[in-house]
Amino acid sequence: MYEDILYYAIDYGLSQGAAYVEARYHKNRGSEVVIRNGAVVGAGVMSKEGVGVRVIYDGALAFSSTTDLTREGVRRAVDKAISLARSSKPLIKWEHALSEERVGKAKYEVVIKENFEDVPLEDKIKIMVGLWSELPKVLKEAKLVSLFEAYIESIEEKTLVTSDGAHVVSRIPRIFYEANIVLSQSQRGTLQRFIEFGGSGGYEVFRSWRIEDQLREEIRSIEPVLLKGVEPPKEPIDVVVGSEVVGLIVHESAGHPMEADRIWGREAAQAGESYVKPEMLGRERIGNENATVIDDPAVPGSYGFYLYDDEGVPARPRYIYYKGLINEPLHNRWSAAVFGTKSNAAARAMDFASEPLVRMANTYLEPGDRTFEELIEDIELGIYVKSYMEWNIDDIRWGQRYVGLESYMIRKGELAEPVLYPALEFTTKSFYSSIVAKGKELRFYTGTCGKGEPAQGVPVWFGGPDVRLSKMRVGVAPR
Amino acid sequence: MKEFLLELAKLTVEKGKGLGYDDIVAKVVNTDEAMVKVANSQLTVAQSWRIIKLELYLAKDRRIVLIETPIKDKKDVSQVLSNIGNYIKSVKESEMYAPLPEPSGKPLDELIDPKVIDSMYQSPEAAAEMVSAAHSEGAEKTAGTLTLAVERKALATSAGAEFYEEGTSVEAYLRAFHRDNSGHWAYGSRVLDLNALREVGRKAAYYAKLSTNVVDVPPGRYDAVLSPLVVGNLMDLVANTASAFAVLAGFSMFMKFKRGDLVASEKFSLIDDPLEKVLPGSTGFDDEGIATKTKPIIKEGRFENLLHNSKTAAVMKTESTGNAGIIMPQPWNVIIPGGDYSEEEMIKEIKNGLLVVNNWYTRLQNYVEGIFSTVTRDAVYRISNGEIVGVVRRLRIADTFPNLLKNIAGLSKNLYDVKWWEVRIPSRIPYILVKNINFTKPTV
Repeated sequence: MYEDILYYAIDYGLSQGAAYVEARYHKNRGSEVVIRNGAVVGAGVMSKEGVGVRVIYDGALAFSSTTDLTREGVRRAVDKAISLARSSKPLIKWEHALSEERVGKAKYEVVIKENFEDVPLEDKIKIMVGLWSELPKVLKEAKLVSLFEAYIESIEEKTLVTSDGAHVVSRIPRIFYEANIVLSQSQRGTLQRFIEFGGSGGYEVFRSWRIEDQLREEIRSIEPVLLKGVEPPKEPIDVVVGSEVVGLIVHESAGHPMEADRIWGREAAQAGESYVKPEMLGRERIGNENATVIDDPAVPGSYGFYLYDDEGVPARPRYIYYKGLINEPLHNRWSAAVFGTKSNAAARAMDFASEPLVRMANTYLEPGDRTFEELIEDIELGIYVKSYMEWNIDDIRWGQRYVGLESYMIRKGELAEPVLYPALEFTTKSFYSSIVAKGKELRFYTGTCGKGEPAQGVPVWFGGPDVRLSKMRVGVAPR
Repeated sequence: MKEFLLELAKLTVEKGKGLGYDDIVAKVVNTDEAMVKVANSQLTVAQSWRIIKLELYLAKDRRIVLIETPIKDKKDVSQVLSNIGNYIKSVKESEMYAPLPEPSGKPLDELIDPKVIDSMYQSPEAAAEMVSAAHSEGAEKTAGTLTLAVERKALATSAGAEFYEEGTSVEAYLRAFHRDNSGHWAYGSRVLDLNALREVGRKAAYYAKLSTNVVDVPPGRYDAVLSPLVVGNLMDLVANTASAFAVLAGFSMFMKFKRGDLVASEKFSLIDDPLEKVLPGSTGFDDEGIATKTKPIIKEGRFENLLHNSKTAAVMKTESTGNAGIIMPQPWNVIIPGGDYSEEEMIKEIKNGLLVVNNWYTRLQNYVEGIFSTVTRDAVYRISNGEIVGVVRRLRIADTFPNLLKNIAGLSKNLYDVKWWEVRIPSRIPYILVKNINFTKPTV
């Protein structure tokens, strides 16, 4: 789409003296319905469409974008990028370059089984509106005081052309649902759960989630935490971390610190640096044999799905940590050139107005061989943290905290009373060195990962199995 | 550009009326923006954007649809409207529908600094001033950005509003590294002031090297001085959760409070001030065409105002505060009035505590209860008997907003205009002295 103006941008940029020109037509369109407490707030229709141009000129890397999809419009964008590059001289110490790659000439799309528009909006709304009256039926004492829902269907279409031969056309439909749930009980206060679902595909993906059943089960499970949750013990105990929390942990403490641009320092003033230094790659260990973390853009149906990245490089799985070794960082062509290596197709741009950055796609801890019962059967005293609300990690991706929401004591090998707000606070090394057993079931969870300036949010999955850790001290969130 | 944008907005309203919509708001926005990004003391990328987009609100029989789309010319208007006709019929009636208010907005003038526009595509040179200042102050490496922008917006509504406003903005921040420490500072304004940019560099470097004596601090409760960067990050969150929509959606600690409740120290006020022209959130009209006004969210410790548009105001049976967002009311500029401390006096006041230069990644366990944690970044300095005695590696503040607000013991006289990656609302804020705040760190 708009291939003529994309090739015009390439030719024009080269004619002006650029060493590299990349032009990406990028359209994100979608619609959204917002529901509050069983009533419609409103609907939204969003479209972002334009061309992003990136050049390397006189050793400087510059990006410009425009919504003006004419020859004149993209010419102006190229001129602006070159103008910015020219004036960058006072801040250039070495010349920027991109790694040489076998870039793709390809066209692909995620096949939809059930078109969004074939399902009446009224039917979609009916499911969400009905939850407000249905969900309280499973509650014993607490009240459902707030249920905020948003449903989004979207299609991302791109045509990427580069001066070194890439030509990649893609179309990825996605679907997303989120709910904010607040339960209240007069003596115990409130409990909040925020939950998201996302994937690539058509409406069939939404059907597969069975959100009515999932939210009903969610509410049934968290009510006892509000009503009867106890503080965790103060002494060190065995900890079993649920796959939802494991997925977040590997996203934060494996995926992010292994973004090569961050290792170099490109995000130092924003999302931060990394505990990983270039000399540690392929040499130092961060965990034990159980610590294998993979990022794979091509997981079918995933929220982070793609087959070619936004620099035209074909996607493949990246073994970020391999059996405890700090193994393979995520690269785009810029970071690959800086590190003297090849890109592994991690370049992603949120929209036409965004430069391609090193990003995760679908990150997960490799599963093991245990059932859940086998993970906990010999724990005398422990805790199982199944889900979370609060989390954060420092800017070198070392010290991190996850506060449990649905959590239980483990007593004599069985789940026991609920626990209120247990806080796990550990370092990256202590987590990956403490994994003593892994469940065999791999589950994925949905997120929107933020990075860059201006901040770019890109769809990702993160996941893993349930994991048992060796004994550690568990804190508690202040109330 | 003014005539072009206004014409598109008015045409959209006119055509919408012709198609039988009950309410129409058309906001046409043109943004020209250039950003220079620096890391390891050198330019990593220079970026620029030129965007013209239409934000359109349509209501028909109490059904609401919002549209956001790029727009080039008049032809696009008909295209957008023709695509939405059937869609809106399938949307259910909105529980929050309220008729559009009569326009009362008064566009602000003098929001443009010509230097911003003139320098836009030479911004690397201005960024170099900021970087050089940090290195002159002793920084060994730096990272940050300088963003220059001009935004022009035209608003037309079916209730009769026809407003236009344009303003420039400058956002600058720098992180300076010295040995294993770092400092950070930021600046947000409508005015390009090279001295202010140099000051960003100098302060970032100053905070990177206040002490090189690394000390260990056990987790626990401490008195602390929070820099304007930290205060800005945390109070942005408080201001955002004062949006009445956040209350309606279950994302606000103000769900538990009513007007007049004591929610903070009486020394503390939090004001939304859209009329402070130097701060880049300033505007004379909101997205419904209502005049904006200055109002306290918290005044001398007491909860005073949620932020409303006409829809949330109708649900809560009150009046708009001129903070539309069509669906979500939003704060424009955050101002926290200063107190009577100098920054040195704040540190002298602390027997056993910490100076927190910067933070990020604030997340909540429960918005209603205000249970949160946030991670310190850059240097945290140990204060003992009124003196800085060492630097502490990364700690985490883990507490509740009600506790934090009530434990505010003092505010600095000097205020700072701040905006950066973790302070998104333009803010004018002091240092804050807070007592007995909970700090944690990894247990393993």
